[in-house]
Amino acid sequence: MSHRPVGKVVDGHGLVPPEPFELTMAALDAIDPSESVLLLLPREPHPLFQLLERQGFLHRTQRTPEGNYEIRIWRAD
Amino acid sequence: MQALLSYDDAPPISAPLRYYLTAPLFAMLAGVLMLYAGPELFESRWTPAALAFTHLLAVGFMLQAMLGSLQQLLPVVVGANLARPLQVAAWVHVAVTIGALFLAAAFLLEAPLLFGAAVVLLGAGVTLFVAAAARALRGMAASNPTLVGLKAGIFGLSVTVVLGLALAVAIGWSLDWPLAQLTDLHLGWGFMAWNGIVLAAVALVVVPMFQITPEYPAWFGRRFVSVALGGVLLWTLADLAGWSWAVLPLAGATLACGAVFCGVTFNVLQRSKRAKHDATHHFWNLSMSSGLLACAVWLTAQVLPAVGGWPRWPLLFGALLLFGGFVSVTIGMLYKIVPFLVWLHLQSRSARRVAAPNMKKVLPQVRIDRQLRSHLASCALLLLSVFWPVCFVYPAGVALIVSNGWLLRNLLHATAVYRNHLITIESAQAKSNPE
Repeated sequence: MSHRPVGKVVDGHGLVPPEPFELTMAALDAIDPSESVLLLLPREPHPLFQLLERQGFLHRTQRTPEGNYEIRIWRAD
Repeated sequence: MQALLSYDDAPPISAPLRYYLTAPLFAMLAGVLMLYAGPELFESRWTPAALAFTHLLAVGFMLQAMLGSLQQLLPVVVGANLARPLQVAAWVHVAVTIGALFLAAAFLLEAPLLFGAAVVLLGAGVTLFVAAAARALRGMAASNPTLVGLKAGIFGLSVTVVLGLALAVAIGWSLDWPLAQLTDLHLGWGFMAWNGIVLAAVALVVVPMFQITPEYPAWFGRRFVSVALGGVLLWTLADLAGWSWAVLPLAGATLACGAVFCGVTFNVLQRSKRAKHDATHHFWNLSMSSGLLACAVWLTAQVLPAVGGWPRWPLLFGALLLFGGFVSVTIGMLYKIVPFLVWLHLQSRSARRVAAPNMKKVLPQVRIDRQLRSHLASCALLLLSVFWPVCFVYPAGVALIVSNGWLLRNLLHATAVYRNHLITIESAQAKSNPE
């Protein structure tokens, strides 16, 4: 579940949508199914959540004290 | 775990697109009106042609585009999904489109029945939208400045439309109401509490996101909406209570809020980390410069009697703020919103079988750059028309028709890319699921 180790980190700061999503999907393709992807963004990506759900992924979002977002994404079992 | 949104609640692409594809038609109609009315349009802000022209842009273009964007931005930016988005879009769009046509015709023909029809349609359309948006936003904690701004802006829209409907009734039936006072309030609420606040709320997200700039200063995000809305409320109170000593300073303070927004945005944009500035960056710069110039015109008219006594200074102020400011930035945002929507909906439909097209292929930059140049020409010619209407009103009308025809063509191109790609996705899905 959410304890899966991070296989790849995607830093979306300074990227224009939808680049963070495209990099995230590429990272999810590249990692082992037992791993997760950590996406770093300056804001909460509501449209990304919708697409992830449709494509069979789960996620957990945490807001950092600096106001950024850390999103762990992994394949649903 | 973060609650997942249901994609089925998100608006289908046709919900916002219908507004976006209709808006340029109204700006083209405004261009046709310039050709029909000629220099008379610029005699004063009160001529029937000037009032019809203003509302073709303010209701036909701006309100359409803003409602379409809000219907899309509420779920995408703050996670507030409107219930039955397609039905809401269908009814609101029809009511606002026909209402805007009736309103422009009512001003030109001075026909009470047309004012009545416009009041019913615009009132019903906006009420339905506000009710749907309020329901979607109900219970959402004011967790960020964008959410606060969108809520305040929708309140501002409601007051603007109520004042506008009251004016339409008063003009249509020649009622002895204080038209000049109500008009100023209608303008103040429309420019600042509705368009200004929503634009600022959205800018907090889209400027750093798409222009790769630093975030807006924290003080701006925390204070702008409350100060701007508070300023408009106090100004309204002073005006209605007859506190003449306070009206002008409070109007000035409200306008100063707008100038601060333009100045801060201008400053943030200059710190963009993009290697090459795109057309949307130029649309933002044009809009913020026009907004600052409009504020300078207003201030000059209050300070210098020679300018304040010139009957066309309100037209110059309005042209700078409405067309140079709000219309420009709206076009710039459409060039980000529409390709992103096409990409998002295709990505969602494809389920990874067929890659969604790159956003730059949905609407190629060269098409946008050409339209930007024609929009700049129409801005310049419109401003020159205020000073020398006999020379410039006809070229300005043609420029308005051409630049908005170009905008429509670009938006139709993005729509065609969506349709063609959808066919590819559906045939791929049919091949993989032959049954």
